[in-house]
Amino acid sequence: MIQTWAIFKESYLHLNSKKLFWVSLIISGLIVLTFGAIGIDEDGMSFLFWDLPFPLNSSWLAPGFFYKFAFAQFGVRLWLTWGATILALVCTAGIIPEFLSGGSIDVTLSKPISRLRLFLTKYAAAMLFVALQVGVFAGASFLVIGLRGGTWEPAILLSIPLVVIFFSYIYAVCVLLGVLTRSTVAALLLTLLIWMGFFAVHLTESALLMFRTQTEQQVQWLRDDVASREATLESARAEPKEGIVNTLRSGFNVNSKEAELTRRREQLADKEESLRAVVAWHTGVVAAKTALPKTSETIGLLERRLIDMADLSGFADDEGGVQMQFDDEDDDLPVPRDDAAVSRAIVEKSRARSVWWIIGTSLIFEAVVVGLAARIFCRRDF
Amino acid sequence: MTSAAIDLSNVEKTYRGRIRALRGVQMRVEKGEVFGLLGPNGAGKSTLVKILTSVVHPTRCTGTLLDAPIGDKKALARVGYLPENPRFPDYLTGGQVLDLFGALAKIPRAERRRRADDLLATVGMTKWARTKIGRYSKGMRQRIGLAQALMNDPEIVFLDEPTDGVDPVGRREIREMLVRMRDDGRTVMLNSHLLSEAETVCGRVAIMVKGKVVRHGALDDLTRHSRRYEIEAAGPLPSGDHWRSLVHGLGAEVRSLGGAPREASLVVAPTDEPEPIQALLDALRAARAVVRSVRPVRASLEDLFLEAVQSMGEEGAGVGGQKGRDAAGKGAER
Ligand SMILES: Nc1ncnc2c1ncn2[C@@H]1O[C@H](COP(=O)(O)OP(=O)(O)O)[C@@H](O)[C@H]1O
Ligand SMILES: [Mg+2]
Repeated sequence: MIQTWAIFKESYLHLNSKKLFWVSLIISGLIVLTFGAIGIDEDGMSFLFWDLPFPLNSSWLAPGFFYKFAFAQFGVRLWLTWGATILALVCTAGIIPEFLSGGSIDVTLSKPISRLRLFLTKYAAAMLFVALQVGVFAGASFLVIGLRGGTWEPAILLSIPLVVIFFSYIYAVCVLLGVLTRSTVAALLLTLLIWMGFFAVHLTESALLMFRTQTEQQVQWLRDDVASREATLESARAEPKEGIVNTLRSGFNVNSKEAELTRRREQLADKEESLRAVVAWHTGVVAAKTALPKTSETIGLLERRLIDMADLSGFADDEGGVQMQFDDEDDDLPVPRDDAAVSRAIVEKSRARSVWWIIGTSLIFEAVVVGLAARIFCRRDF
Repeated sequence: MTSAAIDLSNVEKTYRGRIRALRGVQMRVEKGEVFGLLGPNGAGKSTLVKILTSVVHPTRCTGTLLDAPIGDKKALARVGYLPENPRFPDYLTGGQVLDLFGALAKIPRAERRRRADDLLATVGMTKWARTKIGRYSKGMRQRIGLAQALMNDPEIVFLDEPTDGVDPVGRREIREMLVRMRDDGRTVMLNSHLLSEAETVCGRVAIMVKGKVVRHGALDDLTRHSRRYEIEAAGPLPSGDHWRSLVHGLGAEVRSLGGAPREASLVVAPTDEPEPIQALLDALRAARAVVRSVRPVRASLEDLFLEAVQSMGEEGAGVGGQKGRDAAGKGAER
């Protein structure tokens, strides 16, 4: 225990010597204060004492929801997962490489502490400081949302473990690179690159998911359409004794309807074909993603808890009824698609992903990477 | 036989499968002695100490340190270590460095404070305890390093080139600290390529060359064979059978030193006992020679060292190019 504290304290002094730690904390504070300064009531929005010219007011948007949404979207999604994380990485990236290349590694290793414990404690120290940063931010946000928004939402504090877990995935990579390169700058830049890689995989998967959901929906629509057209044609053919006039008129109709049905069948075959392709691609990318840390989804879990489906669908429905878009407007027989329904389906699908898949597999990735780094550290000669 | 502080029977180290830094080292260091580990740069001295302190993993190692197997972390609680060219984190103060390494050696807080104050006073750094290491001079870092090595009240202290880059005043202080450590009953292992240092403080030494111990033992024993008396006399030397048989009997040697107005000579008698040379002196006085000086002489550590390095070099030359590199081959390998 004496040793653990000593390592934490040393890491603290290290971070403290880098002004960035405080810069990051101050920015966090300013963001929370800005939140607190923005008011929303029946008359609209205000900043401190000035009215803001936004067409938003509390009858349209509940203040609690507004603050929660702002916290999840701007506070967590923008600041904590990008700004603060990059600052935290810059602060903590040096912990391992500077320890390795600094002149005191040999003295430290000569102390009665196992290398593995030394390494893991250093790793934990970085996590602790990130937890501290996020803790301050989340705590202050909790107060602001409570005082200004009127809802005391303990789920906001959930952002502390979630952001720390999210950070730990990236930090694991940083530590491995730090052990390999012994250079803070190299480790940091490569980590940012790999993080972008994770993000690119995520974006690819999201795009494929959207395309897949859309195609699934269209295939379903086409199947229904083909079935109903078949039924109509069937009944038209089955009742030919409706009278001459009728028969004449519908005779023309039957032919054009049959042509349309054939088009629909072709369209269905096309869509089914592309669905098979997109499903194959999507499955592949999801498999790859399973092995990688799921950074965005981990943070997304917070939104899942904070803003429930009911809030969200109410929000989406306001945008105006059922509106159909078409794949190709020039086509005389276009396939419609319902983008709002697609987004809803995507949100539902994303929310249906299990916490185990999101966090569990990411933690396995992290454990493997940290294990590798620890192994290299423990076996190296200094 | 009481147990030794360090008892190594076979230590080998090959770095990255290529550089053979240690080739079967045997060594024994008794408790309470100041032991000098000497050798040219690149001989493997630092590597040996790093293996003992678990900083480097040995390729093969049989032996004990403070009665525990080498690499045992518990035994390291009783070990102090000052590495070669120590650099401590710039963002820590001298006091914080002592506290950190004391804590890593599991010293409780109160005791850490007390010891840090004592040691800072001992190394004359009390005034600088609250200054960041980044602003220290080389000598000050070395002092903090020494204090750090003593934080856990160790039974054995490893000092790797402690006087490297330190000015003469600092060197002398370090030497005094070494003596104090020995008087406190600590075992000290001093790595050095500076021989004058070792000569004044070490009881026993090992000389390493190219990863092997080539001389090992008490300084007195190692230099015994080279002890002699040198008598310098001016004027006429005795002649006659008596003198010749005296010189012959002692196996002494007479050299002319030249000089004017009276020629001087040097009589070298290979003995470390004063009695046998009295007869020589009597004969010289009887012949009215002027005895200018009588000195007991022994080979310096430097002689011993150079001899060891040379013998190793000759031996190595026959074996192959790898070994035949000059003794200070460290630069070439890096
Ligand atoms: N970490 C290392 N990796 C590879 N080779 C090393 C390492 N440390 C030392 N060596 C090599 O091992 C040999 C012995 O070095 P060292 O133990 O530092 O000698 P000394 O302390 O006697 O000057 C040298 O040839 C040196 O180049
Ligand atoms: Mg050395």
